[in-house]
Amino acid sequence: MSPTDLDHQAFQESVGLYVLDALPTDEREAFERHLRSCDTCAAEVRSFRSAADALPYALPQVDPPSALRARVLAAAGHPLSGRAAGPDAGRAPAFSIWQSRIGWLSAAALLVVSVGVSGYALTLRQRVGGLELQLQDAIARVTRSEQQLATATASAARAEVRLAVITAPDLAQVALAGQPPSPRATGRAFWSRTRGLMFAASNLPPLPSNRIYQFWVVTATSAISSGWTFRPDESGRAAELFATAPDIPPPVAMAVTIEPEGGVPAPTGDKVLVGTTQ
Amino acid sequence: MWLLLAVVQRAAGSPADQFTLERIARGDGDALAELYDRHARLIYSLALRILRDQADAEDVVQEVFSQAWRQAARYSAGRGNLVAWLLTMARSRAIDRLRARRVRPSSSTSEQVLAAMKDEAPSVEMRLEWAGRAAQVRQALDALPLLQRMAIELAFYEGLTHAEIAERLEQPLGTVKTRIRQGLLKLRDQLAGAVP
Repeated sequence: MSPTDLDHQAFQESVGLYVLDALPTDEREAFERHLRSCDTCAAEVRSFRSAADALPYALPQVDPPSALRARVLAAAGHPLSGRAAGPDAGRAPAFSIWQSRIGWLSAAALLVVSVGVSGYALTLRQRVGGLELQLQDAIARVTRSEQQLATATASAARAEVRLAVITAPDLAQVALAGQPPSPRATGRAFWSRTRGLMFAASNLPPLPSNRIYQFWVVTATSAISSGWTFRPDESGRAAELFATAPDIPPPVAMAVTIEPEGGVPAPTGDKVLVGTTQ
Repeated sequence: MWLLLAVVQRAAGSPADQFTLERIARGDGDALAELYDRHARLIYSLALRILRDQADAEDVVQEVFSQAWRQAARYSAGRGNLVAWLLTMARSRAIDRLRARRVRPSSSTSEQVLAAMKDEAPSVEMRLEWAGRAAQVRQALDALPLLQRMAIELAFYEGLTHAEIAERLEQPLGTVKTRIRQGLLKLRDQLAGAVP
C-alpha cells in the first residue's frame, strides 16, 4: 500500500466534516493539503457539497422584510433602490440602450429575435398551462380536504353533544320496549332537561315505503315531537340527537311510532317502542 | 412527476442565473434586483435558522448580495451553481456571527423567530418549485437515522466542530465522524436522482 493510499484512508473520514465545516483549523489545513493531491477525495468533496447545499431547502421558508430589498440595492449603489419593488421596476434604462442600438439591427436580425421570442413565449405559455393544471389540482385537493374537515367537525360536534348529554347532572334514562308488531326492538333514551336528548335503538323493523320513524316525548297532557324523525340503518340500528326545549312539562313516557314521511304534529301510526319514566 | 423534476432542476442551477450573473458582472443593477427576487427568501431563511435573530439575518442577506455584486466578475461558474455560491456565503457569514456570539452569549429570540416563520410564498410558480425541492430534501432527511441527521444539522446549522458535536450528542468522536459520513453518503445518493 502506497503512502498516498494510507493518507487517503485516514482522510476519507474527514470529507464530510470538511464539507460541513466541522473540522478544527489544524485538521482542516491538513485535509486541504491532502486534497490537492487526491482526486478521489476532491471528487467526494464535490458530491458531498451538493448534498449539503440542498439542506437549506428543507427549512421553513420566511420572506425577508420588504425594506431589506431596498437596503441591499442601495448598498450596491443601484438607483432602483428608491423605487417600488415590482417585476418591471427599473427596466427603463436598459430598454433605452436597446432603442439606441435598434438602428443597427437589420430587419432579418429583428425577425430572428422575434422568432426566438415567440418560441420562448410559447414555452412560457406551455409552462404556465402546466402550472395552472397543477394549481387546479391543488385547489381541488384543498376543497376536498375542507369538506372532509367540515364533516369531521360536524361529527365531532355531535359526539360532543352526546357526551354532554350522557354526562349531564340531570340525566334521566328511559328504556323503551318493543311493542306487539316488533317485540324484538329495543331502545334507550338519555334525556337532560338542560342539554337535550340522545336516543339509540336496535332491531327496528324496516320501514314501509313513504313511512318514517318519529320519536315522541309524552307528557301528562300531550305528545311532543319537533320533527324528531329518523331512519334506522340496514341492520335496524339508529342513534339520534334531539334538541329538547328546556321548559317542556315533565315526561311520563317516551315512544316511537311509524308515521308518514316528513313527520306529523301528533302521533297517528303504530307504536313500535314505548317506555315510561319512573 | 417529470414536470416537477424539471421544475426542481431549473430551480437548482438555472441558465437564467448564469445570465443574471454575467449582467451583474457588467454592473447591471437590475440584474442584482432579479437575483435578489429569486433567491433572497432562501438566503434569509437559512440565515434566520442559523442566527435566530431577524436583524442579524437581514445583515447577512445584505452582506451576501453585496459580495455577489462585488465579486460576480471573479466568480467562475465552473465552481458550481450560483445558488450554492450564495448559500455558502450566507452560511459561512452566519456561522461566523454565531461563533462570535458564543463568546458573549446573548438572549435567545427563538420564540420570536418561530412566530415570524409563517410560510408565505411570493408566487404560485415559486411555491411549486419550493414544494418539489423542499419535499425531496425533507424526505431524504427524514430517511436518515436520527443520530446521523442530528450530527449533520449540528454541524451545518450550529457551526459546531466534530468534537463539539460529540460532546453535545454524548457520543464518542469516532462514532460522530462515522455517522456524518454515512449520513452525507445517504443524502447524496437520495438526492442524486434529481439534483444536478
